[in-house]
Amino acid sequence: MLEVRGLDARYGDAQALWDVALDVGAAETVCIVGPNGAGKTTLVQTIAGLHRAAAGTITVEGVDVAALPGHRVCDHGVATVPEGRRVFGHMSVRDNLLLGAYRRPARAVHRETEARVYELFPRLKERATQQAGSLSGGEQQMLALGRALMALPRLLLLDEPSLGLAPVIVDEVFDAIAAVNATGVSVLLVEQDVERALSAASRGYLLIEGRIVASGTTTELRESADVRERVLGM
Amino acid sequence: MTAVQAALSGALIGGLYALMAAGLSVTWGTLRVINLAHFGLILVGAYLSYQLTSAWGIDPMLTLLVSAPVLFVVGAALQWAYDRFNIVEFNSLLVSFGLLMIIIEVSTQVWTADFRHIDAGANPYGTSALHLGPIALPVSRLVALGFALLLIGGGHLVLERTFAGRGLRAFAQDRTVAASFGIDHRRLGLVVGGLAGVSAAVAGMVFALGNTIAPAHAYEWFGTVFAVVILGGIGNLLGSLFAGLGVGAFSALVAVLWDPSYEPFVLFLAIILALVLRPQGLFTRRGLA
Repeated sequence: MLEVRGLDARYGDAQALWDVALDVGAAETVCIVGPNGAGKTTLVQTIAGLHRAAAGTITVEGVDVAALPGHRVCDHGVATVPEGRRVFGHMSVRDNLLLGAYRRPARAVHRETEARVYELFPRLKERATQQAGSLSGGEQQMLALGRALMALPRLLLLDEPSLGLAPVIVDEVFDAIAAVNATGVSVLLVEQDVERALSAASRGYLLIEGRIVASGTTTELRESADVRERVLGM
Repeated sequence: MTAVQAALSGALIGGLYALMAAGLSVTWGTLRVINLAHFGLILVGAYLSYQLTSAWGIDPMLTLLVSAPVLFVVGAALQWAYDRFNIVEFNSLLVSFGLLMIIIEVSTQVWTADFRHIDAGANPYGTSALHLGPIALPVSRLVALGFALLLIGGGHLVLERTFAGRGLRAFAQDRTVAASFGIDHRRLGLVVGGLAGVSAAVAGMVFALGNTIAPAHAYEWFGTVFAVVILGGIGNLLGSLFAGLGVGAFSALVAVLWDPSYEPFVLFLAIILALVLRPQGLFTRRGLA
């Protein structure tokens, strides 16, 4: 599904990612864990085409999208739930969802997709006409996820979905992610809450100071000395 | 009675202000370009309507069939150039002011600095009025209001109800996230710039119906139209309609009840007060509406 090789990213003179390589298989959930400032968000943004790669390839279903302009990457089935949710606060909940279906293929079936999103998050249906900015943090996270689903993704990029949410809401969000993954959507999950990330994913990568320093199944990662010391603090 | 008459016919002029403000407001609110050259496009629209009516003897409204497509292309080209040369909110004021001066100079070369007006014989809207009891409403101003309602109402519906409109609103709020859902800012810029050009063609035609045209008019529109854009809320179409009507009525009332020379003073004092009390604009529902 996704194959990243030799990926470098920089902000001006400051390099944020060095030679990153990772894979996400079809219908797989893969997590990237790492401390603050490791470059996790940069990695997601670069894969999504919102930050230009300085070097390397990002292959989605066999097509290298690294050089595409930001608005073309979603043509290849990639949708993003950005860090901090970033819903369109001045638009209604329903308009946020419909915006997710902006591309023609998604537009054609937006009614059906919308109904499925409401099934997954009944709360969004109740609040359909409300301004997105007036929702609680958890509801906004659901909306950001629903908006991404409206684009009919085959690869979902999730950046810190638990950020700033109460544990009970986080449970709900992660249940929804599992449900989406069960429908065959591949998920790349970036998460500071390592415990959650490792239990949601089947494989993972440890990103530290812009480099992948460990990878493996989540069981292997749990036992790795690096993960225990550098991110779990044990 | 004079006050009612003044307020009503002032509000009707406000329809023209709203038409002038709508294009400026939307390009500012979505593309983050303060396009002063828009006033130049309105001027060219007015001259085109004048020229084509004089040349062909057709109804002035029909001149839109030529001037609207021409200004669509000019508006889109302007936006393309702003994007190409990375012109944003801050430097756009300077660059577009330069462009405005160029347009005014070229207009002066073509049409001279003399006052021009559509020949009365060719302009069925110029001098007639609709009489409602003691109140007379000039037809040219009713036309202005009609076009303002049509264009702004239509634009509002497009923004609210269509995928393209939602795309534009989303783009105005968060470009990065909007791009991740496939919104192409270049194409959007061309369409929005072009439509602003069309609104300039309409505003110019409407202006030409009821007024004499001279190049310096483009400078005179500045103050009032800016006030309408700001009061209505930047990027807020319906807001610019209400603000246009309000500013028109208010200015006319000041002129009649007090003194025409106080009009700008009172108007801008009121605007400063309004901005102090409601910095987000009077009619804004926040964001694009």
